Amino acid sequence: MRKNHRTYLIICFVIAGLTIGFSDPKDAPTELNLSTSDTRYAELTPEKAFDLMMEVLTHKRCVNCHPADDYPRQGEDSHIHNFGVQRGPDNHGVAALKCQTCHQDENNNYSGVPGAPEWSLAPRKMAWQGLTRVEIARSMLNPDNNGGRTLEETVHHLTEHELVLWAWEPGVDANGKPREKPPVPKAEYIKAVKAWAEGGAPIPEQ
Amino acid sequence: MSNAKPKKKFSRRKFIIRSTVGVGVAIGATYFTRPLWRRSLAGLLNSAEAPYVGNTDEPRLWFEVTAENQVILNSPKVEMGQGTFTGLAQIAADELEVDIQQIKVIHAPTASGNIDGVSTGGSTSISSLWQPLREMAATMREMLKNEAAKQLGTEVADLSVENGVVTGNGQSLTYGEIVKATTEWEVPDVPTLKKASEYKFVGQPVPRVDLKDKVNGAPMFGMDASLPGMLFGAVVRPDQIGATFVGADTSEAENMPGVVKVVREPDFVGVVATSRMAAEQAKQTIKAEWTTDRNWQSSDIEAMIKVGKGDPVTIQKTGRPKRILDNEEDVLTAEFTSPIGAHAQLEPNGAVVHVEADKATVIISTQVVDITRKEVADRLGLDPKAINIIPTYLGGGFGRRLHTPNAIQAAVLSKAVGKPVKCFFTRKEEFQNDTFRPPTHHILRGKLDEKGKIKAIEHNLSSGDVMFGSPLFPGIAAPILGADVGAWRGGMIQYKGIPNFRAVSWRVKLPFATSWWRSLGLLANTFAIESFMDELALKAGKDPVQFRLEHIQDDKAGYRLSEVIKAAAKKAGWKDEVVNGRAMGFAASTDANTPCAHVAEVSIENGEIKVHKVTCAIDPGMVVNPDQVRAQCEGNIIMGQSAAMYERMIVKDGQLLPSIYGPYRMALMRDAPKEIDVVILENDDAPGAVGEPPMGPIGAAIANAAFRLTKERLRSLPLVSS
Amino acid sequence: MKISFNINGQPQSLDIDGNTPLLWVVRDILDLKGTKFGCGKAACGACTLHVDGEAVRACSYAVKYANDKRITTIEGLSNGDELHPVQQAWMEEIVPQCGYCQPGFMMATAALLEQIPNPTDEDIDNNIVNVCRCATYYRMRKAIHRAASIQSQNTKTQTS
Repeated sequence: MRKNHRTYLIICFVIAGLTIGFSDPKDAPTELNLSTSDTRYAELTPEKAFDLMMEVLTHKRCVNCHPADDYPRQGEDSHIHNFGVQRGPDNHGVAALKCQTCHQDENNNYSGVPGAPEWSLAPRKMAWQGLTRVEIARSMLNPDNNGGRTLEETVHHLTEHELVLWAWEPGVDANGKPREKPPVPKAEYIKAVKAWAEGGAPIPEQ
Repeated sequence: MSNAKPKKKFSRRKFIIRSTVGVGVAIGATYFTRPLWRRSLAGLLNSAEAPYVGNTDEPRLWFEVTAENQVILNSPKVEMGQGTFTGLAQIAADELEVDIQQIKVIHAPTASGNIDGVSTGGSTSISSLWQPLREMAATMREMLKNEAAKQLGTEVADLSVENGVVTGNGQSLTYGEIVKATTEWEVPDVPTLKKASEYKFVGQPVPRVDLKDKVNGAPMFGMDASLPGMLFGAVVRPDQIGATFVGADTSEAENMPGVVKVVREPDFVGVVATSRMAAEQAKQTIKAEWTTDRNWQSSDIEAMIKVGKGDPVTIQKTGRPKRILDNEEDVLTAEFTSPIGAHAQLEPNGAVVHVEADKATVIISTQVVDITRKEVADRLGLDPKAINIIPTYLGGGFGRRLHTPNAIQAAVLSKAVGKPVKCFFTRKEEFQNDTFRPPTHHILRGKLDEKGKIKAIEHNLSSGDVMFGSPLFPGIAAPILGADVGAWRGGMIQYKGIPNFRAVSWRVKLPFATSWWRSLGLLANTFAIESFMDELALKAGKDPVQFRLEHIQDDKAGYRLSEVIKAAAKKAGWKDEVVNGRAMGFAASTDANTPCAHVAEVSIENGEIKVHKVTCAIDPGMVVNPDQVRAQCEGNIIMGQSAAMYERMIVKDGQLLPSIYGPYRMALMRDAPKEIDVVILENDDAPGAVGEPPMGPIGAAIANAAFRLTKERLRSLPLVSS
Repeated sequence: MKISFNINGQPQSLDIDGNTPLLWVVRDILDLKGTKFGCGKAACGACTLHVDGEAVRACSYAVKYANDKRITTIEGLSNGDELHPVQQAWMEEIVPQCGYCQPGFMMATAALLEQIPNPTDEDIDNNIVNVCRCATYYRMRKAIHRAASIQSQNTKTQTS
């Protein structure tokens, strides 16, 4: 990374770090409590950061909507979404069966339908299903796959986009049962993404 | 049943004058004295001639003539999509000499006295009312003509009648005008009924009389009902099989917003609130305690439903089949199974009930008006006559509403708050508290002779109950009959040209409710028998259609079955070969005297059976409405396809699952065949059964077709594994 | 909270818990019973109505999202006595049996035809996924093609 770019990035992170410190109170307490007692999150080398980040990004809460084909997955067993719901021409479903026919901006606890702003499938080029964590990471950094994003834009997306962060508030299913969250608490995940990028975004061999 | 009868008169008559509406003609019911015990229970369910049995003591309101010259027909049978209201309107219009547009069919509230004592089900509504309704309508027409003759000062023979207008002596009177001017009625002998050639409406594809309301989304279902000042109720129901209510901690619920009262009864706990959401949310805070004796699993149920477990009852026997099959060589044996099936009708069960000091009103989608009334009356400690059941259009029946205990709970809630209460199941409760189609296990044995004809055949069936345990049949029925008539519906061998055959039934009482599901045992039994017939045909080296024809007996029933089989094969262009990746499969069944045959044309796509076309031939006796007969065939075919190919309930850790559409896979638009051809073979018998018979052959027709493509015989429903 | 929207051409304003599903607002508060409850879990489609012309399952749509939107239910699909092409086609083909699921299907179909005026069978398969237990799908498919034809005739008549 070029020097001035890197400096810019560090300044961004510092500012972001200051704001993240004052993150949404309803999220912070539980996550921080977990992390202070967990040694996994203590020493964040870029390589360890990568591990933590990919634990999240390979979780079903993410991969269910990053399919390799035209069908979202759903549930803890990642079965093909019921009723033949599909990608459609612009990742938002088909004419009379758009994602927004059922999914709104927030989880609906009465129906068990999850929701977040811009609920939709990740474009085909961001297909993660069936890829190894290394392949996912490489795809994330490749402007051809990631919608032309720079690393900082990717980091912004990964740490601030509401649809991404939905994974930590995934609501309940049709039976009222809470959906499984990713194995890394949100705050630690965000730290990990940044630490990884800051450390040069290294991707291991496997 | 024929038209030729000696002179008959309705022996009791009572007339109700309704000052605002017009005059009602209530015809006494001693005509309908054909009590249940005169016909065998088996005959009742298997024959097309189910008697109409109503409460015989009270006069019953059938027709009301309004001042606007409309005729309101109070139907004791309910409309759940099977087209009964339309058929009844056609039948009445023809004999009454009114236009079909002048007839408005409504559900008879029990206060009208017109109470169906049998239930709406068993494909018997049109067949059982065909004769009585024509006679009543014709009698009423003559009554009106007799009065018109007096009022017009002429002879009855000089009158002409059309569209509810009587003309004579140069003048006309509408029915409405006639009734308004009449105070004393004479009841004539039942006149000669019209010949088929004289029908204007019967036999025509008249559009459904409820079509416009259904296309406009009219508030016509039980779920749409409301009464002034109505509150909303919710009842805590278990999700475990065999759960018994012990008690509940309702302290949190009492303080939830919108809650009017928490109602605690020995057998249930519920809550009444100012909105449905408030009631449901309060209900969720109730900590109910249940005891269960066992943590049931699917494997437990499968172990219970096994041919050979329990006491067998031979329900059919000709010749010496057992001796042949036990002792001879080269006997083909095959096993088949079918799963627990849910009704999954779109309108959940529930009721709107208003209990007052000495009476109650119940607005409800029900198939058993009389039982609903009795159960509510018993619980409230009131005489049944103090309860008015107002039936509504059903958002699906299929046998689900042949018992409505939920009305009792809604009544208790209403009584507790002194206001009308609307209380409905959630979809999860609907799935887990269903009265399911029972799972089955079949073993068939067959032996061919040296000419490749069946020498002996035997069908052994193990099934959960259908009829026993239903309030429609007294507890005494089980020990008398031994075998559950509903379970072995369709389970008898219909090819009576076979010299030796028998059917044996094993009855299993399961730990959850199983009962009537459209066509009862017909779908599973036909799947087993007709798949086995296919196997035998192949073993004999014969064409499956030809093979079946070879074994049909030479009598009227046999003739009708043969004609239906030939018609289906011909219309489908039947050939037993794979063409362009598609194959045909054949099956036939006879249910309630209505034979029906299907040819299914399928391919395998993405590893799954795809049904492209179904050809259906049916002989339902006389056809009242050919469009509705076709619609019933289409619906049965796809509903049967759905159950045979996709549907099943399992038992896991004591729960019946799944409890939502989607995981409970059903046929959707994309799964339904794009082509359905229906051939109706008419004859001049009375109208027979249509609502269920076309369900029979579809499972085997699809499975037999699939076999030709995969060379793998599918022996378990659902045919497509999830 | 205060929520205002237009429903079937009429303005409506309510003071209500914003998380109330639109289905119950429509059915129990506005007394429009045509939109049905089948499952409450967005699985069956019986509650399908239009929000700004798009198909939405009202059981899974909090009323707060309806603020400033234009809602159409089956009662508003027709233009006075003049039936919508979908309803006309449903009449011609005599589609309904029990009828309970039909409004949801008609609303989904109307939304489909709005965006795909001449749907193929595959379009119909992909877009119309509601559940009909009476299984009237065979006639529904015919009615959808008929509705497309009626609609295109109407369009020609209007533009000619």
